[in-house]
Amino acid sequence: MLLEHLQVRFAAALLEPAAAPELATAIGAHVPQWRQLYRSHVQAAWEKALANSFPVVRALVGAEFFAVLAREYARMHPSGDGDLNRFGAHFADLIATLEHTRALPYLGDVAALEWSVQCAYYAADMAPLPRERAAAMLPQELLASRFEVHPAAAWIESDFPIATIWRAHLPESHVLLPETLDRHECALVARPGWQVVVVESSAAETAALAALRSGGTMDDAIGIALGLDPQFDFARTFVRWLDLDLLAPAPVL
Amino acid sequence: MQNRIDSSLGTGIGLRAPHYRDLLDRPRCTDWLEAHTENYFGDGGYDLHALTTLRERYPISLHGVGLALGSAAGWSTGHLLRVAALVRRIEPVLVSEHLSWSSVAGRHFNDLLPLPMTRAALDLMCARVAQMQEALQRRVLVENISSYLHFARGDYDEAGFLNELAARSGCGILLDVNNLYVNQCNLGIDAAAVIDAIAPAHVEEIHLAGHLFTADAVIDHHGARVADEVWMLYECALRRFGRVPTLIEWDTDVPALDVLLNEAAAARRRHDAVNCGEACAA
Repeated sequence: MLLEHLQVRFAAALLEPAAAPELATAIGAHVPQWRQLYRSHVQAAWEKALANSFPVVRALVGAEFFAVLAREYARMHPSGDGDLNRFGAHFADLIATLEHTRALPYLGDVAALEWSVQCAYYAADMAPLPRERAAAMLPQELLASRFEVHPAAAWIESDFPIATIWRAHLPESHVLLPETLDRHECALVARPGWQVVVVESSAAETAALAALRSGGTMDDAIGIALGLDPQFDFARTFVRWLDLDLLAPAPVL
Repeated sequence: MQNRIDSSLGTGIGLRAPHYRDLLDRPRCTDWLEAHTENYFGDGGYDLHALTTLRERYPISLHGVGLALGSAAGWSTGHLLRVAALVRRIEPVLVSEHLSWSSVAGRHFNDLLPLPMTRAALDLMCARVAQMQEALQRRVLVENISSYLHFARGDYDEAGFLNELAARSGCGILLDVNNLYVNQCNLGIDAAAVIDAIAPAHVEEIHLAGHLFTADAVIDHHGARVADEVWMLYECALRRFGRVPTLIEWDTDVPALDVLLNEAAAARRRHDAVNCGEACAA
Protein backbone atom coordinates (compact mmCIF):
# COMPACT_ATOMS: atom_id res chain seq x y z
CA MET A 1 0.00 0.00 0.00
CA LEU A 2 1.31 3.45 -0.86
CA LEU A 3 2.39 5.42 2.19
CA GLU A 4 -0.12 8.14 1.40
CA HIS A 5 -3.00 5.64 1.14
CA LEU A 6 -1.95 3.99 4.37
CA GLN A 7 -2.00 7.32 6.18
CA VAL A 8 -5.39 8.27 4.71
CA ARG A 9 -6.84 4.96 5.93
CA PHE A 10 -5.23 5.34 9.32
CA ALA A 11 -6.72 8.84 9.55
CA ALA A 12 -10.16 7.44 8.68
CA ALA A 13 -9.80 4.82 11.41
CA LEU A 14 -9.24 7.60 13.93
CA LEU A 15 -12.06 9.81 12.64
CA GLU A 16 -14.83 7.39 11.74
CA PRO A 17 -15.23 4.69 14.39
CA ALA A 18 -18.14 3.18 12.45
CA ALA A 19 -16.21 2.72 9.23
CA ALA A 20 -13.87 -0.25 9.03
CA PRO A 21 -11.08 0.86 6.71
CA GLU A 22 -8.94 -1.81 5.17
CA LEU A 23 -5.96 -1.73 7.49
CA ALA A 24 -6.03 -5.19 9.04
CA THR A 25 -3.45 -6.74 6.74
CA ALA A 26 -1.17 -3.73 7.10
CA ILE A 27 -1.01 -3.97 10.86
CA GLY A 28 1.60 -6.01 12.68
CA ALA A 29 2.06 -6.15 16.44
CA HIS A 30 -0.51 -3.95 18.13
CA VAL A 31 -2.44 -3.17 21.26
CA PRO A 32 -6.04 -4.42 20.72
CA GLN A 33 -7.49 -1.01 21.63
CA TRP A 34 -5.13 0.96 19.39
CA ARG A 35 -7.96 2.80 17.60
CA GLN A 36 -9.63 3.97 20.81
CA LEU A 37 -6.28 4.92 22.35
CA TYR A 38 -5.20 7.08 19.41
CA ARG A 39 -8.69 8.54 19.08
CA SER A 40 -8.83 9.50 22.74
CA HIS A 41 -5.28 10.95 22.70
CA VAL A 42 -6.08 13.06 19.67
CA GLN A 43 -9.41 14.29 21.09
CA ALA A 44 -7.77 14.97 24.44
CA ALA A 45 -5.04 17.07 22.81
CA TRP A 46 -7.64 19.17 20.97
CA GLU A 47 -9.85 19.54 24.03
CA LYS A 48 -6.86 20.51 26.19
CA ALA A 49 -5.79 23.13 23.67
CA LEU A 50 -9.29 24.63 23.74
CA ALA A 51 -9.47 24.42 27.54
CA ASN A 52 -6.17 26.35 27.74
CA SER A 53 -7.49 29.02 25.39
CA PHE A 54 -11.03 29.25 26.78
CA PRO A 55 -10.96 28.66 30.56
CA VAL A 56 -13.85 31.06 31.23
CA VAL A 57 -16.14 29.47 28.62
CA ARG A 58 -15.27 26.10 30.20
CA ALA A 59 -16.10 27.41 33.68
CA LEU A 60 -19.40 28.85 32.42
CA VAL A 61 -20.64 25.69 30.66
CA GLY A 62 -18.96 23.04 32.83
CA ALA A 63 -16.25 20.52 31.90
CA GLU A 64 -18.68 17.93 30.55
CA PHE A 65 -20.46 20.20 28.09
CA PHE A 66 -17.17 21.83 27.15
CA ALA A 67 -15.92 18.40 26.05
CA VAL A 68 -19.01 18.11 23.80
CA LEU A 69 -18.29 21.56 22.34
CA ALA A 70 -14.66 20.57 21.77
CA ARG A 71 -15.64 17.43 19.84
CA GLU A 72 -18.13 19.38 17.77
CA TYR A 73 -15.55 22.07 17.05
CA ALA A 74 -12.88 19.53 16.04
CA ARG A 75 -15.38 17.99 13.63
CA MET A 76 -16.46 21.28 12.06
CA HIS A 77 -13.07 23.02 12.12
CA PRO A 78 -10.43 20.28 11.86
CA SER A 79 -7.00 21.16 13.15
CA GLY A 80 -4.82 22.08 10.21
CA ASP A 81 -1.68 23.14 12.00
CA GLY A 82 1.08 21.52 14.05
CA ASP A 83 0.87 24.44 16.46
CA LEU A 84 -2.07 23.73 18.79
CA ASN A 85 -2.08 27.32 20.02
CA ARG A 86 -3.77 28.21 16.72
CA PHE A 87 -6.48 25.60 17.00
CA GLY A 88 -9.15 27.71 18.71
CA ALA A 89 -9.24 30.55 16.18
CA HIS A 90 -12.86 29.83 15.11
CA PHE A 91 -14.24 28.58 18.42
CA ALA A 92 -16.13 31.81 19.13
CA ASP A 93 -17.82 31.63 15.71
CA LEU A 94 -18.98 28.09 16.40
CA ILE A 95 -20.39 29.00 19.82
CA ALA A 96 -22.24 32.00 18.42
CA THR A 97 -24.06 29.78 15.91
CA LEU A 98 -24.90 26.79 18.10
CA GLU A 99 -28.53 26.13 19.06
CA HIS A 100 -27.73 24.57 22.42
CA THR A 101 -25.78 27.57 23.75
CA ARG A 102 -28.65 29.97 23.05
CA ALA A 103 -29.47 30.02 26.79
CA LEU A 104 -26.07 31.67 27.31
CA PRO A 105 -26.25 34.48 24.74
CA TYR A 106 -23.04 36.11 26.05
CA LEU A 107 -20.94 32.96 25.51
CA GLY A 108 -19.84 33.80 21.97
CA ASP A 109 -18.59 37.23 23.00
CA VAL A 110 -16.80 35.77 26.05
CA ALA A 111 -15.09 33.27 23.72
CA ALA A 112 -14.08 36.07 21.34
CA LEU A 113 -12.64 37.97 24.31
CA GLU A 114 -10.70 34.90 25.47
CA TRP A 115 -9.24 34.46 21.98
CA SER A 116 -8.12 38.11 22.06
CA VAL A 117 -6.52 37.41 25.44
CA GLN A 118 -4.60 34.46 24.01
CA CYS A 119 -3.49 36.50 20.98
CA ALA A 120 -2.39 39.26 23.38
CA TYR A 121 -0.36 36.74 25.38
CA TYR A 122 1.68 35.79 22.29
CA ALA A 123 1.72 39.22 20.63
CA ALA A 124 4.99 41.01 19.81
CA ASP A 125 6.74 42.95 22.56
CA MET A 126 6.85 46.75 22.63
CA ALA A 127 8.92 49.09 24.82
CA PRO A 128 6.25 51.37 26.32
CA LEU A 129 6.42 55.14 26.53
CA PRO A 130 8.08 55.93 29.88
CA ARG A 131 5.86 57.95 32.22
CA GLU A 132 8.49 60.58 32.84
CA ARG A 133 8.83 61.13 29.12
CA ALA A 134 5.07 61.47 28.76
CA ALA A 135 4.99 63.86 31.72
CA ALA A 136 7.69 66.01 30.14
CA MET A 137 5.73 66.49 26.91
CA LEU A 138 4.20 69.91 26.37
CA PRO A 139 0.45 69.83 25.60
CA GLN A 140 0.99 70.99 22.00
CA GLU A 141 3.68 68.36 21.48
CA LEU A 142 1.45 65.62 22.92
CA LEU A 143 -1.50 66.60 20.71
CA ALA A 144 0.65 66.60 17.58
CA SER A 145 2.30 63.25 18.41
CA ARG A 146 1.58 59.87 16.89
CA PHE A 147 1.94 56.69 18.92
CA GLU A 148 2.30 53.01 18.39
CA VAL A 149 -0.45 51.08 20.17
CA HIS A 150 0.78 47.87 21.82
CA PRO A 151 0.38 44.89 19.44
CA ALA A 152 -1.31 43.00 22.30
CA ALA A 153 -4.05 45.63 22.68
CA ALA A 154 -7.52 44.62 21.48
CA TRP A 155 -11.07 45.68 22.24
CA ILE A 156 -14.45 44.02 21.94
CA GLU A 157 -17.84 45.65 22.31
CA SER A 158 -20.64 43.42 23.55
CA ASP A 159 -24.30 43.63 24.58
CA PHE A 160 -23.17 41.79 27.71
CA PRO A 161 -20.75 42.64 30.56
CA ILE A 162 -17.99 40.39 29.16
CA ALA A 163 -15.06 42.18 30.83
CA THR A 164 -16.71 41.77 34.23
CA ILE A 165 -17.54 38.12 33.52
CA TRP A 166 -13.94 37.47 32.48
CA ARG A 167 -12.49 39.21 35.53
CA ALA A 168 -14.85 37.35 37.88
CA HIS A 169 -13.30 34.07 36.69
CA LEU A 170 -9.68 34.98 37.35
CA PRO A 171 -8.06 32.80 40.03
CA GLU A 172 -8.66 34.40 43.45
CA SER A 173 -10.79 37.08 41.83
CA HIS A 174 -12.70 39.49 44.05
CA VAL A 175 -14.85 40.60 41.13
CA LEU A 176 -18.39 39.26 41.44
CA LEU A 177 -20.44 38.08 38.50
CA PRO A 178 -22.83 40.90 37.55
CA GLU A 179 -26.39 40.48 38.80
CA THR A 180 -27.93 41.49 35.52
CA LEU A 181 -26.35 40.30 32.32
CA ASP A 182 -28.15 42.63 29.93
CA ARG A 183 -25.57 45.39 30.32
CA HIS A 184 -23.56 46.64 27.37
CA GLU A 185 -19.80 46.60 27.95
CA CYS A 186 -16.67 47.37 26.01
CA ALA A 187 -13.72 45.17 27.01
CA LEU A 188 -10.15 46.39 26.54
CA VAL A 189 -7.32 43.82 26.46
CA ALA A 190 -3.82 45.02 27.38
CA ARG A 191 -0.50 43.48 28.42
CA PRO A 192 1.27 45.62 31.03
CA GLY A 193 4.49 43.86 32.00
CA TRP A 194 3.94 40.31 30.73
CA GLN A 195 0.49 39.75 32.13
CA VAL A 196 -2.63 40.08 30.00
CA VAL A 197 -5.40 42.09 31.66
CA VAL A 198 -8.98 42.89 30.66
CA VAL A 199 -10.49 46.18 31.79
CA GLU A 200 -13.84 47.83 31.22
CA SER A 201 -13.60 50.45 28.53
CA SER A 202 -15.86 52.65 26.46
CA ALA A 203 -16.66 53.20 22.81
CA ALA A 204 -14.92 56.60 23.05
CA GLU A 205 -11.71 55.16 24.53
CA THR A 206 -11.44 52.31 22.05
CA ALA A 207 -12.23 54.60 19.11
CA ALA A 208 -9.38 56.85 20.25
CA LEU A 209 -7.01 53.85 20.40
CA ALA A 210 -8.17 52.75 16.96
CA ALA A 211 -7.42 56.24 15.62
CA LEU A 212 -3.91 56.12 17.11
CA ARG A 213 -3.29 52.62 15.78
CA SER A 214 -4.24 53.70 12.28
CA GLY A 215 -1.66 56.50 12.44
CA GLY A 216 -3.68 59.47 13.68
CA THR A 217 -2.29 62.10 16.04
CA MET A 218 -3.38 62.34 19.66
CA ASP A 219 -5.40 65.38 18.64
CA ASP A 220 -7.27 63.28 16.05
CA ALA A 221 -7.87 60.56 18.64
CA ILE A 222 -9.27 62.98 21.22
CA GLY A 223 -11.52 64.56 18.59
CA ILE A 224 -13.01 61.19 17.69
CA ALA A 225 -13.52 60.25 21.34
CA LEU A 226 -15.22 63.57 22.13
CA GLY A 227 -17.47 63.11 19.12
CA LEU A 228 -18.73 59.86 20.69
CA ASP A 229 -18.78 61.09 24.28
CA PRO A 230 -18.67 64.81 25.08
CA GLN A 231 -17.70 63.84 28.69
CA PHE A 232 -14.58 61.92 27.53
CA ASP A 233 -11.92 62.54 30.17
CA PHE A 234 -8.65 62.55 28.25
CA ALA A 235 -6.33 63.28 31.20
CA ARG A 236 -7.61 60.26 33.15
CA THR A 237 -7.63 58.03 30.08
CA PHE A 238 -4.08 58.97 29.11
CA VAL A 239 -2.78 58.06 32.59
CA ARG A 240 -4.57 54.71 32.31
CA TRP A 241 -3.01 54.08 28.90
CA LEU A 242 0.42 54.67 30.40
CA ASP A 243 -0.41 52.36 33.34
CA LEU A 244 -1.45 49.66 30.89
CA ASP A 245 1.71 50.06 28.75
CA LEU A 246 -0.56 50.72 25.77
CA LEU A 247 1.52 53.37 23.98
CA ALA A 248 4.99 53.73 22.54
CA PRO A 249 6.44 56.61 20.54
CA ALA A 250 5.60 56.03 16.88
CA PRO A 251 8.61 54.78 14.94
CA VAL A 252 10.26 57.54 12.90
CA LEU A 253 9.62 56.78 9.24
CA MET B 1 26.47 21.70 8.53
CA GLN B 2 27.75 21.67 12.08
CA ASN B 3 29.72 18.80 13.53
CA ARG B 4 28.61 16.48 16.25
CA ILE B 5 27.56 18.21 19.43
CA ASP B 6 29.70 18.29 22.54
CA SER B 7 29.08 15.17 24.60
CA SER B 8 29.94 17.08 27.77
CA LEU B 9 26.53 18.78 27.65
CA GLY B 10 25.52 16.52 30.57
CA THR B 11 22.00 16.01 31.94
CA GLY B 12 19.16 18.48 31.57
CA ILE B 13 15.44 18.88 32.07
CA GLY B 14 12.48 19.81 29.90
CA LEU B 15 11.55 23.49 30.22
CA ARG B 16 7.92 23.78 31.35
CA ALA B 17 5.93 26.98 31.99
CA PRO B 18 5.21 26.26 35.70
CA HIS B 19 9.00 26.35 36.32
CA TYR B 20 9.85 29.62 34.54
CA ARG B 21 9.75 31.72 37.70
CA ASP B 22 11.83 29.23 39.70
CA LEU B 23 14.45 28.87 36.95
CA LEU B 24 14.68 32.62 36.41
CA ASP B 25 15.09 33.26 40.17
CA ARG B 26 17.59 30.50 40.96
CA PRO B 27 21.23 30.28 40.07
CA ARG B 28 22.02 27.70 37.42
CA CYS B 29 20.63 24.37 38.65
CA THR B 30 20.85 21.98 35.68
CA ASP B 31 23.19 21.45 32.74
CA TRP B 32 20.77 22.37 29.96
CA LEU B 33 17.13 22.92 29.10
CA GLU B 34 14.96 21.53 26.32
CA ALA B 35 11.97 23.57 25.16
CA HIS B 36 9.04 22.42 23.02
CA THR B 37 9.55 24.42 19.83
CA GLU B 38 5.87 25.11 19.14
CA ASN B 39 5.35 26.78 22.53
CA TYR B 40 7.58 29.65 21.37
CA PHE B 41 6.02 30.43 17.99
CA GLY B 42 4.52 33.67 19.30
CA ASP B 43 5.89 37.02 18.09
CA GLY B 44 6.61 37.94 21.72
CA GLY B 45 5.19 37.55 25.21
CA TYR B 46 6.23 35.92 28.45
CA ASP B 47 7.19 32.44 27.18
CA LEU B 48 9.60 33.84 24.63
CA HIS B 49 10.90 36.34 27.20
CA ALA B 50 11.56 33.48 29.66
CA LEU B 51 13.30 31.39 26.99
CA THR B 52 15.48 34.24 25.70
CA THR B 53 16.44 35.12 29.29
CA LEU B 54 17.23 31.51 30.20
CA ARG B 55 19.31 31.00 27.06
CA GLU B 56 21.84 33.44 28.52
CA ARG B 57 22.29 30.99 31.41
CA TYR B 58 21.71 27.54 29.88
CA PRO B 59 22.38 25.72 26.64
CA ILE B 60 18.96 25.31 25.01
CA SER B 61 17.65 22.43 22.92
CA LEU B 62 14.57 22.98 20.72
CA HIS B 63 12.42 19.87 20.50
CA GLY B 64 9.59 19.98 17.96
CA VAL B 65 6.37 18.00 18.15
CA GLY B 66 4.40 19.50 15.26
CA LEU B 67 6.46 19.30 12.09
CA ALA B 68 5.06 15.86 11.18
CA LEU B 69 8.08 14.98 9.03
CA GLY B 70 6.68 11.65 7.84
CA SER B 71 3.31 12.92 6.56
CA ALA B 72 3.02 11.94 2.90
CA ALA B 73 0.34 14.58 2.23
CA GLY B 74 -0.70 17.74 4.00
CA TRP B 75 2.86 18.73 4.82
CA SER B 76 3.45 22.45 4.68
CA THR B 77 6.68 24.37 4.84
CA GLY B 78 4.99 27.13 6.86
CA HIS B 79 5.65 25.26 10.08
CA LEU B 80 9.27 24.67 9.07
CA LEU B 81 9.74 28.39 8.43
CA ARG B 82 8.47 29.14 11.94
CA VAL B 83 10.93 26.60 13.38
CA ALA B 84 13.72 28.20 11.36
CA ALA B 85 12.84 31.68 12.65
CA LEU B 86 12.94 30.43 16.25
CA VAL B 87 16.25 28.63 15.67
CA ARG B 88 17.75 31.87 14.38
CA ARG B 89 16.46 33.69 17.45
CA ILE B 90 17.51 31.15 20.12
CA GLU B 91 20.63 29.58 18.53
CA PRO B 92 20.02 26.25 20.29
CA VAL B 93 22.73 23.63 20.86
CA LEU B 94 20.35 20.87 19.68
CA VAL B 95 17.30 20.76 17.42
CA SER B 96 15.14 17.66 17.22
CA GLU B 97 11.92 16.21 15.80
CA HIS B 98 10.26 12.79 15.63
CA LEU B 99 10.18 9.74 13.42
CA SER B 100 6.43 10.05 12.90
CA TRP B 101 3.62 11.56 10.84
CA SER B 102 0.57 13.61 11.85
CA SER B 103 -1.27 15.02 8.89
CA VAL B 104 -3.28 14.10 5.83
CA ALA B 105 -4.52 16.68 3.34
CA GLY B 106 -6.25 19.48 5.23
CA ARG B 107 -6.06 17.87 8.65
CA HIS B 108 -3.49 17.65 11.43
CA PHE B 109 -3.86 15.07 14.22
CA ASN B 110 -1.45 16.82 16.59
CA ASP B 111 -0.16 13.45 17.71
CA LEU B 112 2.96 11.42 16.91
CA LEU B 113 1.68 8.61 14.67
CA PRO B 114 3.75 5.57 13.64
CA LEU B 115 5.32 5.11 10.21
CA PRO B 116 5.71 1.80 8.42
CA MET B 117 9.40 0.82 8.32
CA THR B 118 9.46 0.72 4.51
CA ARG B 119 11.81 2.04 1.84
CA ALA B 120 9.14 4.53 0.79
CA ALA B 121 8.85 5.89 4.32
CA LEU B 122 12.64 6.04 4.60
CA ASP B 123 12.91 7.95 1.31
CA LEU B 124 10.29 10.41 2.50
CA MET B 125 11.94 10.88 5.91
CA CYS B 126 15.36 11.38 4.29
CA ALA B 127 13.93 14.04 1.96
CA ARG B 128 12.11 15.83 4.78
CA VAL B 129 15.10 15.74 7.14
CA ALA B 130 17.25 17.12 4.33
CA GLN B 131 14.70 19.89 3.78
CA MET B 132 14.67 20.64 7.51
CA GLN B 133 18.47 20.71 7.77
CA GLU B 134 18.64 22.96 4.72
CA ALA B 135 16.06 25.39 6.16
CA LEU B 136 17.76 25.44 9.55
CA GLN B 137 21.29 25.39 8.16
CA ARG B 138 22.26 22.79 10.74
CA ARG B 139 22.02 19.12 11.65
CA VAL B 140 18.97 17.90 13.47
CA LEU B 141 18.20 14.85 15.61
CA VAL B 142 15.27 12.50 14.98
CA GLU B 143 13.60 10.67 17.86
CA ASN B 144 12.06 7.19 18.02
CA ILE B 145 8.43 7.28 19.22
CA SER B 146 6.24 5.05 21.36
CA SER B 147 3.23 3.61 19.55
CA TYR B 148 0.25 1.30 19.93
CA LEU B 149 1.00 -0.60 16.75
CA HIS B 150 3.71 -1.52 14.32
CA PHE B 151 2.96 -1.98 10.65
CA ALA B 152 3.49 -5.38 9.07
CA ARG B 153 5.86 -6.12 6.19
CA GLY B 154 8.51 -3.50 6.75
CA ASP B 155 11.84 -3.46 4.95
CA TYR B 156 13.67 -2.58 8.18
CA ASP B 157 13.31 -2.92 11.89
CA GLU B 158 13.26 0.37 13.80
CA ALA B 159 17.00 0.36 14.56
CA GLY B 160 17.81 -0.39 10.91
CA PHE B 161 15.49 2.41 9.77
CA LEU B 162 17.07 4.93 12.15
CA ASN B 163 20.61 3.86 11.17
CA GLU B 164 19.80 4.29 7.48
CA LEU B 165 18.06 7.63 8.08
CA ALA B 166 21.07 8.94 9.99
CA ALA B 167 23.59 7.60 7.46
CA ARG B 168 21.72 8.94 4.42
CA SER B 169 20.48 12.31 5.70
CA GLY B 170 23.33 13.06 8.07
CA CYS B 171 20.98 13.62 11.00
CA GLY B 172 21.61 12.29 14.49
CA ILE B 173 19.40 10.03 16.58
CA LEU B 174 17.59 11.12 19.71
CA LEU B 175 17.03 7.83 21.51
CA ASP B 176 14.03 7.81 23.84
CA VAL B 177 14.71 4.91 26.18
CA ASN B 178 11.28 5.14 27.82
CA ASN B 179 9.65 4.85 24.38
CA LEU B 180 11.62 1.67 23.74
CA TYR B 181 10.43 0.25 27.06
CA VAL B 182 6.80 1.24 26.41
CA ASN B 183 6.99 -0.46 22.99
CA GLN B 184 8.50 -3.52 24.64
CA CYS B 185 5.49 -3.71 26.97
CA ASN B 186 2.87 -2.93 24.33
CA LEU B 187 4.29 -4.52 21.20
CA GLY B 188 6.71 -7.13 22.48
CA ILE B 189 9.88 -5.67 20.96
CA ASP B 190 13.20 -6.32 22.69
CA ALA B 191 14.29 -2.87 23.85
CA ALA B 192 17.84 -3.96 24.71
CA ALA B 193 18.24 -5.53 21.28
CA VAL B 194 17.18 -2.26 19.62
CA ILE B 195 19.83 -0.42 21.64
CA ASP B 196 22.43 -2.98 20.56
CA ALA B 197 21.42 -2.61 16.91
CA ILE B 198 21.67 1.17 16.73
CA ALA B 199 24.99 2.42 15.42
CA PRO B 200 26.75 4.21 18.31
CA ALA B 201 28.06 7.04 16.14
CA HIS B 202 24.54 8.37 15.49
CA VAL B 203 23.11 8.71 19.01
CA GLU B 204 23.51 12.28 20.24
CA GLU B 205 20.80 12.65 22.84
CA ILE B 206 18.80 10.39 25.17
CA HIS B 207 15.31 11.05 26.55
CA LEU B 208 14.05 9.65 29.85
CA ALA B 209 10.50 9.95 31.15
CA GLY B 210 7.80 8.18 33.14
CA HIS B 211 4.96 6.04 31.82
CA LEU B 212 1.64 4.74 33.10
CA PHE B 213 0.37 1.17 33.23
CA THR B 214 -3.36 0.91 32.39
CA ALA B 215 -5.64 -2.04 31.65
CA ASP B 216 -5.46 -1.35 27.90
CA ALA B 217 -1.81 -0.47 27.42
CA VAL B 218 1.25 1.25 28.81
CA ILE B 219 0.79 4.96 28.17
CA ASP B 220 3.82 7.15 27.46
CA HIS B 221 2.33 10.00 29.52
CA HIS B 222 5.50 11.71 30.81
CA GLY B 223 3.84 12.11 34.18
CA ALA B 224 5.89 10.02 36.61
CA ARG B 225 9.42 9.32 37.74
CA VAL B 226 11.62 7.21 35.48
CA ALA B 227 10.86 3.52 36.12
CA ASP B 228 13.55 1.08 37.33
CA GLU B 229 13.39 -0.91 34.08
CA VAL B 230 14.01 2.28 32.11
CA TRP B 231 16.98 3.19 34.30
CA MET B 232 18.45 -0.25 33.53
CA LEU B 233 17.98 0.30 29.79
CA TYR B 234 19.51 3.76 30.18
CA GLU B 235 22.62 2.19 31.73
CA CYS B 236 22.79 -0.20 28.75
CA ALA B 237 22.47 2.73 26.39
CA LEU B 238 25.24 4.66 28.17
CA ARG B 239 27.55 1.67 28.00
CA ARG B 240 26.95 1.40 24.27
CA PHE B 241 26.74 5.06 23.26
CA GLY B 242 28.93 6.76 25.85
CA ARG B 243 28.11 9.89 27.84
CA VAL B 244 25.35 11.10 25.59
CA PRO B 245 23.51 14.31 26.66
CA THR B 246 20.45 13.15 28.59
CA LEU B 247 17.13 14.83 29.27
CA ILE B 248 14.35 14.28 31.81
CA GLU B 249 10.91 14.96 30.29
CA TRP B 250 7.79 15.63 32.35
CA ASP B 251 4.56 16.88 30.73
CA THR B 252 1.56 15.55 32.67
CA ASP B 253 0.87 16.89 36.20
CA VAL B 254 4.19 18.73 36.20
CA PRO B 255 5.61 18.58 39.75
CA ALA B 256 7.89 21.03 41.57
CA LEU B 257 11.16 21.84 39.81
CA ASP B 258 13.16 19.94 42.46
CA VAL B 259 11.49 16.65 41.48
CA LEU B 260 12.81 17.07 37.93
CA LEU B 261 16.22 18.13 39.22
CA ASN B 262 16.37 15.00 41.40
CA GLU B 263 15.61 12.84 38.37
CA ALA B 264 18.30 14.66 36.40
CA ALA B 265 20.73 14.07 39.28
CA ALA B 266 19.85 10.36 39.22
CA ALA B 267 20.60 10.32 35.49
CA ARG B 268 23.79 12.26 36.13
CA ARG B 269 25.14 9.63 38.56
CA ARG B 270 24.70 6.92 35.94
CA HIS B 271 25.91 9.16 33.13
CA ASP B 272 29.17 10.01 34.92
CA ALA B 273 29.83 6.44 36.10
CA VAL B 274 29.56 4.77 32.70
CA ASN B 275 32.22 2.59 31.15
CA CYS B 276 31.71 2.60 27.43
CA GLY B 277 31.82 -0.16 24.88
CA GLU B 278 29.75 -2.94 26.44
CA ALA B 279 26.80 -4.62 24.78
CA CYS B 280 23.32 -4.54 26.21
CA ALA B 281 21.62 -7.82 25.52
CA ALA B 282 24.60 -9.70 26.94
